[in-house]
Amino acid sequence: MADAVRGALLRAGNPGRSAHVLSIRSARDVFAARERLAELFHAADSSRFVFTENATAALNFAIKGILRPGDHAVTTSVEHNSVMRPFRRMVAGGCSVTVVPAGRDGAVDAKSVLSAVRRNTRLVAVVHASNVSGAVQPIGEIVRKARRLGVFTLVDAAQTAGSVPIDLAALPVDLLAASGHKGLLGPQGTGFLYVREGVPLVPLIEGGTGSRSEDDRQPDFYPDALESGTQNSVGLAGLAVSLSWLLRRGVESVRKKEMELLAELAEGMERIPGVAIFGPRDPARCASVRSFRVEGMDPAETGRRLEKGFGILVRAGLHCSPNSHRTLGTFPEGTVRVSPGPFTTRNEIAFFLSALRKISASR
Amino acid sequence: MGRSSTPEMVLIFRGTHQVMSAEKHLKKGGVAMRLIPVPRRLTSDCGLAIRVSLDLRDRAREVLSAAKLLPKSVHLLRDRGEYDTVPF
Repeated sequence: MADAVRGALLRAGNPGRSAHVLSIRSARDVFAARERLAELFHAADSSRFVFTENATAALNFAIKGILRPGDHAVTTSVEHNSVMRPFRRMVAGGCSVTVVPAGRDGAVDAKSVLSAVRRNTRLVAVVHASNVSGAVQPIGEIVRKARRLGVFTLVDAAQTAGSVPIDLAALPVDLLAASGHKGLLGPQGTGFLYVREGVPLVPLIEGGTGSRSEDDRQPDFYPDALESGTQNSVGLAGLAVSLSWLLRRGVESVRKKEMELLAELAEGMERIPGVAIFGPRDPARCASVRSFRVEGMDPAETGRRLEKGFGILVRAGLHCSPNSHRTLGTFPEGTVRVSPGPFTTRNEIAFFLSALRKISASR
Repeated sequence: MGRSSTPEMVLIFRGTHQVMSAEKHLKKGGVAMRLIPVPRRLTSDCGLAIRVSLDLRDRAREVLSAAKLLPKSVHLLRDRGEYDTVPF
């Protein structure tokens, strides 16, 4: 992946802006990334995957592009700030939002979400899995029933894309946002928004697309409608390579491995006195995230000791998701989060558990 | 492919993604083609077009309609760089 990024950086072609060999090579990189996303998520038309700089940009495009003044939206109490802050902006502009509370383990109930739908509800936005508790939400039921009610749906898959299977042929979600640098294993600065055909999204950013240059109005076809300005073809060249790896390995296989590691983590952490785990214990209900605290110790201090004493790097604090921590009862201190990936080994889990045992014993 | 006595068609698509996608489907369908810069006489777009021999028109149409990727316009290259817009 890094070699692909370096190669693209040194070539420096700009896709769609010229017809010379370097421009075409960059266009092929971007096309490959888009085609592989469509394959990974079982979508028929790759043009509906719009590249963005990250999941946050994709969520902003979705929320601000679909809501109009007077519209109502439904979301949950475990959303990231990349959902809550755009909603705050829309509320200031005349929209209304209902925030449905999740349970203490961070899981939401599909019925509660759907019962918040009103006559003027235009969007239901749900995170596929919380970046704090890992709780996987019942998006299948929410999306299918919301669709029957005539409401558009947005799923924030930042924490699950590439590590929990998502099948767009079976899941009729209208908008799906994710970043490229997490489970998709690509470089930072990549992300995407999938927009199902027929979803009337107003572009947030307009400009040069390399197409219809004679016309000063934004193209209405995808992906150009939502992709203005020079794209991150360097990062996307890397993403194309990591998506190939994922397609060969299989998301189901990644998920199976991560669930095994999550189970080992939970079993091991539960045996350590003074360690509290947040979120669902059952790995089948949890994305590859475990949030925990060592009792009586600031999560930032636990993180510092894991790094200084053992070289283990974790994220401590509120994880840009204060509402999730309020739901779990861990606001304002937050938690420490450990996230096994497809390259994590069982030995590394054992090493982490041994480090945590020592830190907890030294309180 | 190169210049031959068979007339050549230029296929114009809406955007770069559509050109890339058409190229993929034409190659998979065994239709000889090449990417060319969009002739300025045809459109002011900055990007690419696809050039195909006229005798492959039926096969190209079959492949592209199956992929729901029909070109925005199709042009027949005449002598002296002039083009006739033709149905596809």
